[in-house]
Amino acid sequence: MTHTAKGPVHGPVKLADRSMTSRRQFLQTSAAFGAAGMAGLGVTRARAQSRVEISFASAAFFGKESFGDLCDTFNESQDRIFVRFIELPPPSSSTEVFQGLVQQLARADGTPDVFSQDVIWIAGFAEAGWALPLGEYFPDTKDYFSGTVAACTYNNQLTALPWFMDSGMLYYRRDILEKMGAEVPTTWDQMATLAAAAQGAGDAEFGYLWQGKQAEVLVCDAVEIITSNNGAILAADGKSALVNQPEAVAAIQFLYDTIATTKISPQNVLSWDEEPSRMPFTAGRGTFMRNWSYVYPIAQDPAASDVVDKVGVAPLPAFDGGKSAACLGGYQLGINANSKYREAAVEFLTWLSSAEVQQRIALNFGLAPTRANLFDDATIKAEQPFMASLQSVFTGATARPITPKYSEVSLALQSGISKAFVSGNVQAEMDALATEINRIVA
Amino acid sequence: MLRGTLWPWLLLLPAFVALGSVALYPIVNGIYLSFTNTSLISRTDDFTGFDNYARLMGDALFWKAWGHTMWFTAVSTLLETLIGLAMALVLVEAFPGRGIVRAAMLIPWAMPTVVTSKMFGWLFDGQFGVINYVLLQLGLIDQNVNWYGSPDTAMWTIIIADVWKTTPFMALLLLTGLQTIPASLTEAARMDGAKAWATFWHVRLPLLLPTLLIAGMLRALDAFRVFDLVYVLTGGGPGDSTETLSTLSYKVLFATLQFGYGSTISTAMFITEGLIALVFVIFMVSQLRRLS
Repeated sequence: MTHTAKGPVHGPVKLADRSMTSRRQFLQTSAAFGAAGMAGLGVTRARAQSRVEISFASAAFFGKESFGDLCDTFNESQDRIFVRFIELPPPSSSTEVFQGLVQQLARADGTPDVFSQDVIWIAGFAEAGWALPLGEYFPDTKDYFSGTVAACTYNNQLTALPWFMDSGMLYYRRDILEKMGAEVPTTWDQMATLAAAAQGAGDAEFGYLWQGKQAEVLVCDAVEIITSNNGAILAADGKSALVNQPEAVAAIQFLYDTIATTKISPQNVLSWDEEPSRMPFTAGRGTFMRNWSYVYPIAQDPAASDVVDKVGVAPLPAFDGGKSAACLGGYQLGINANSKYREAAVEFLTWLSSAEVQQRIALNFGLAPTRANLFDDATIKAEQPFMASLQSVFTGATARPITPKYSEVSLALQSGISKAFVSGNVQAEMDALATEINRIVA
Repeated sequence: MLRGTLWPWLLLLPAFVALGSVALYPIVNGIYLSFTNTSLISRTDDFTGFDNYARLMGDALFWKAWGHTMWFTAVSTLLETLIGLAMALVLVEAFPGRGIVRAAMLIPWAMPTVVTSKMFGWLFDGQFGVINYVLLQLGLIDQNVNWYGSPDTAMWTIIIADVWKTTPFMALLLLTGLQTIPASLTEAARMDGAKAWATFWHVRLPLLLPTLLIAGMLRALDAFRVFDLVYVLTGGGPGDSTETLSTLSYKVLFATLQFGYGSTISTAMFITEGLIALVFVIFMVSQLRRLS
């Protein structure tokens, strides 16, 4: 029973199993390991002492590598700055990531120096004075998609730097459209007509699959359809609600009609977020679907999909006279306003958002770049052809309402729009919602 | 003499410190926060008197959530008590394999609620759910029901899941209560010619009443805090029809970081739970007086 003599101990050691000799061995070994550990630490310290040490906090994304590996590359690439990575929970636990960041930023002690943030937190962090305005360091943002720059701007100041993105998009069944001899629809009415025709011909049980659950994704679906009718949720100054204006009401009415009148969507969409809406589509039971980019690899996986090579992706439709809009998602970079090492932070930020690193993130994590010209990059085209095809979708990327009280506005939107779908009384519910949002943002 | 009074207090001190730091302090601090406009995002932290309570009185969503929570508590506690009592009455009798059945009965209760929630999510799924399939085959419905996507059925789906999960707990408590009733009493009743129903109604039930009330109170206070089932299954929707006080206060506290107003909602929960407990206690005391 002398695990100790063999080397490092993994897991708990049963004290009762150990004789006196092996206990002494254990003590010796652990002392040796302790010393080695101290020495190791000493080395890092010594190296870090001659350099500026900054910290980088981010939700944990995984692919062929992790964000910690990115920090290692940066640390090895130069000898002036040492970045310590603070790993937050994965993006699926978005509320926990948010709490973790807020707790650290609210301490105002300069940690973390650099952080990544979901697009919807940017205004709140800026209003709280936690995010350093970045305009003077990054005056030129024309290489990024304009939607991402808009989402990174609060009160006419750039307070975040675009990093990687995703957005809503229209998935369609290529085989069904071909059979009908139809083009990919560019207006909502065309989409509804085609969807109903495919249902009538028995090609697919459902016409249009979307997400109506009282959850954050409902806000995304709403932003897309309202914007594509030249409407908006908030006025440009963020101080008043526009959800009860005719453009927004007509857009929400269209979504309600897909369930109640045109019946191209099942009533189930009201309890669906992303995955429940994805499953019937990849099972071959729907003609059109609104979803994020993660669906495509699943649709192309023969083990999980009945529609391999039958699926196409296009920008979401718009109303007559409107422009296609895609709700912007993804994580963007920020610098802590209380950071003691601004120049080092700016240097690291510049590196993280550079074309070279964005390309590496695209290839190794499958996260789409925010730099438009990377979509013409030969390596990305060869290794991530689907991602490269999304340039036209991402051009229409639209930010969710930009307000420091976004989370309150979002909860109000989820509740109000869900009530409109349940009662069918769209105008009345949107009026009540506008009153509630005005109370929040006033 | 001083030593005589001081010593017991000294011995009690660790318990006081422990309780004070983990129970009393959070409650007092929560009540204090409920009188402030503390918010991490707007970085305000001022005492605002009864402003939050005035807002609470006019907050339609709060009252809706309050109503849903009370409804959920009343219906689920009642169903769990009745079904639990029936299970206890069966399990108190001797029959072959009783030990295994008693152990198996506890499985739903031993499962983490999040697992139960996911499981019922699939059972009641509007498209692929087994419940819809069975009901369709039996001809009880003519098309798939969208159980937790429709405001008419969403709360019932959650109640059914809770009843499935927590009835074993009630059955276990009531079984212990039944076992304390001396067999001689039921035997005497049988000798006097009482039928099963009369024995239950006039002998067992009155003696079981204190246990029934305590179990009911424990269950009601627990049901009042329902969170996981709602959070996983519906997120409070559709159209706020399943929003409960726990999910609402979680959203206000941790999604919007309004610690002031969120604490006001929590304090309102605290007061309501106190009132529920009070009603049970008053009823219990009156019953015990009547018995003695």
